[in-house]
Amino acid sequence: MGGFEHILIIGGGVGGALAHDLALRGYRVTLVEKGELLSGTTGRHHGLLHSGARYVLHDPEAARECWQENQILRRIAPQAIEPNGGLFVALDERDQSFYGRFVDRCRSIGIPAQPLSGAQAIRMEPALNPTLQGAVLVPDAGMDAWRLPMHFFATARANGAEIRNFTEVTALRMTGRTVAGVDVLDHRTQGIASIGADLVVNAAGPWSGRVAAMAGVRIPLQLGPGVMVSVRGRLTQRVINRLQPAGEGDILVPQRGLSILGTTAWLADDPDAVAVPPDHVQRLFELGRTLVPEVGRLKPLAVWSACRPLLRSQAAADPYRISRSFDCFDHAPRDGVEGLITLIGGKATTLRAMAEKAADLVDRKTGRSIACRTRETMLLPYRCFWRRA
Amino acid sequence: MSVRPIEVRILRCRPGRIDPPRFQSFRIDAKEDLTVLDALEHIRLTLDGSLMYRHSCHHSSCGTCACRVNGMERLACTTRLLDLGAGTVSLEPLRGFECVGDLAVQTEPFYRDIDPAWSCLKPAGPIGGAETGTEQGLQRFEECIECGCCVSACPATRSHPDFMGPAALAAIRNEMLKNPLAADDLLSRAGSERGERWCERALACSRVCPTGVYPSRHIADLRDELKGPRST
Ligand SMILES: Cc1cc2nc3c(=O)[nH]c(=O)nc-3n(C[C@H](O)[C@H](O)[C@H](O)COP(=O)(O)OP(=O)(O)OC[C@H]3O[C@@H](n4cnc5c(N)ncnc54)[C@H](O)[C@@H]3O)c2cc1C
Ligand code: SF4
Ligand code: SF4
Ligand code: FES
Repeated sequence: MGGFEHILIIGGGVGGALAHDLALRGYRVTLVEKGELLSGTTGRHHGLLHSGARYVLHDPEAARECWQENQILRRIAPQAIEPNGGLFVALDERDQSFYGRFVDRCRSIGIPAQPLSGAQAIRMEPALNPTLQGAVLVPDAGMDAWRLPMHFFATARANGAEIRNFTEVTALRMTGRTVAGVDVLDHRTQGIASIGADLVVNAAGPWSGRVAAMAGVRIPLQLGPGVMVSVRGRLTQRVINRLQPAGEGDILVPQRGLSILGTTAWLADDPDAVAVPPDHVQRLFELGRTLVPEVGRLKPLAVWSACRPLLRSQAAADPYRISRSFDCFDHAPRDGVEGLITLIGGKATTLRAMAEKAADLVDRKTGRSIACRTRETMLLPYRCFWRRA
Repeated sequence: MSVRPIEVRILRCRPGRIDPPRFQSFRIDAKEDLTVLDALEHIRLTLDGSLMYRHSCHHSSCGTCACRVNGMERLACTTRLLDLGAGTVSLEPLRGFECVGDLAVQTEPFYRDIDPAWSCLKPAGPIGGAETGTEQGLQRFEECIECGCCVSACPATRSHPDFMGPAALAAIRNEMLKNPLAADDLLSRAGSERGERWCERALACSRVCPTGVYPSRHIADLRDELKGPRST
């Protein structure tokens, strides 16, 4: 258990990576999660370890972040990744018109991009639409949405962080305009308790607006839910993307013996009311079929939605164009509330980088200056989480 | 889309509080594709916020949501309520694990005999029609999602709590195939006091496994290897 200040993290998604970073830096860490760990967005995303290629055409900053983190995660958590690459396929003239720019942008960011003819792509992935005109091979990968972040939780716990699931924050404890800790409801005992902390980090994802409201502050959060569908059968070995600016139903991620079609996106206000709109499943099948015709003959195994906690931007009308970048807010200079930090935005792929940025802010607020070591520290296998020494 | 009223009976439990456990019924209108997990989410968010269950991926990949549905081990996220027939559905936690609240169980014992270092990946193998060689170096995750269904269904884990159970034996067998240098050591674990000897070949494990691991086949292979002197 670290000997520095006590940092309390609210939210067991990306928060797991922050617990790891802070524990390595020597802080005393407690993380509370209202349900099972990873029961929010992080456990149920599409499973794409982004190379960044998906964002090169319209969000180069997010693309750069993704490529950097893709390489780091392959190194520190290799067992949570199916490292098979991804194909961006051009099906029609419009897709072809992006081809040159796509390859150039990938290369300028440093993302390896190998142009393939349609015939070459079919030889690698025979299930692809035979009318495809060309493709580009990039270092996308599949990740296990549960097991990759569990590596962070396992390592954080081994380094002394206290990780408490089924523990819900019901209020922030305020001393004047300073957050001094949290009140929690422990769902196991149904008991209420207070936990004091030197700093509280709001990493509650889609629910982070509610946590911020407990301190009377507002944050630029925009909820952008999306639907995914899984089908039985591994149709391809590699991730398949449509070569166009990221949009609806343009990606298929294989995982284990499944293939996962996604995704749709819309804007919402309530993180707890994101039912699957009735026509989305059919749309995903129609769009998925244009990439891989076999999809049209399959039935959904599971249909589910997840809620993106996006950073609101000025031009927020189109959910596909809101940047996938992230930010970290110190509520002291911003809102006059001491002792509270909020971390929002980003991707599961960038969880480590998000944690680094938040931990750097924790350092600044505690007056310390400790080097981040999460880039080079190999994570423990996730199963260590349940094998306590 | 058809909608049917369904009574969902959930075994409520809080060690020391709601103890012994008791069933509580909730009435919900189930649409065609509503899963057991969707129903649990609906109940927690609109009817009873104290309901505890585990969930994460919502598509049969993480293995957290396993429970007993009408007495049979299943994943809540891929079991559709209306496929179960009757107008009443009973939900209970897995057997053989300590309950921490309602359907949520403590999974530490599951990992007792599964080494954290054993690989989760295997060669992806060629996909139908792909040019030979294009599958070189491709990898995919193992089939087992560590859901615990097989352990809960196995009669031998109940009569012999020390038995390492079907999932661990299947994991041993898979690791032997990928890591021949460790095969002798792995085989001796399978042959240990806690190993294969307790399996009654009841096949319940293979019947309930949601991802087609067929643990009993791996156990039969281990048994064969343990019988004869290893020839390789
Ligand atoms: C449809 C879709 C597809 C996606 N696909 C991908 C992809 O393929 N690859 C990728 O990299 N990213 C993907 N993402 C993005 C990624 O999943 C998210 O950006 C990321 O998971 C958000 O993590 P988070 O920790 O901020 O939120 P969450 O994971 O939701 O974590 C917040 C946690 O806080 C908890 N919490 C809330 N309130 C409280 C409270 N009061 N007390 C205690 N705990 C509380 C919640 O239960 C939750 O577990 C996708 C997102 C969506 C919606
Ligand atoms: S075959 Fe063996 S391990 Fe499987 S359920 Fe039966 S007794 Fe248990
Ligand atoms: S072998 Fe099958 S039933 Fe057993 S834990 Fe693994 S996935 Fe679950
Ligand atoms: S929620 Fe992951 S397997 Fe059901």
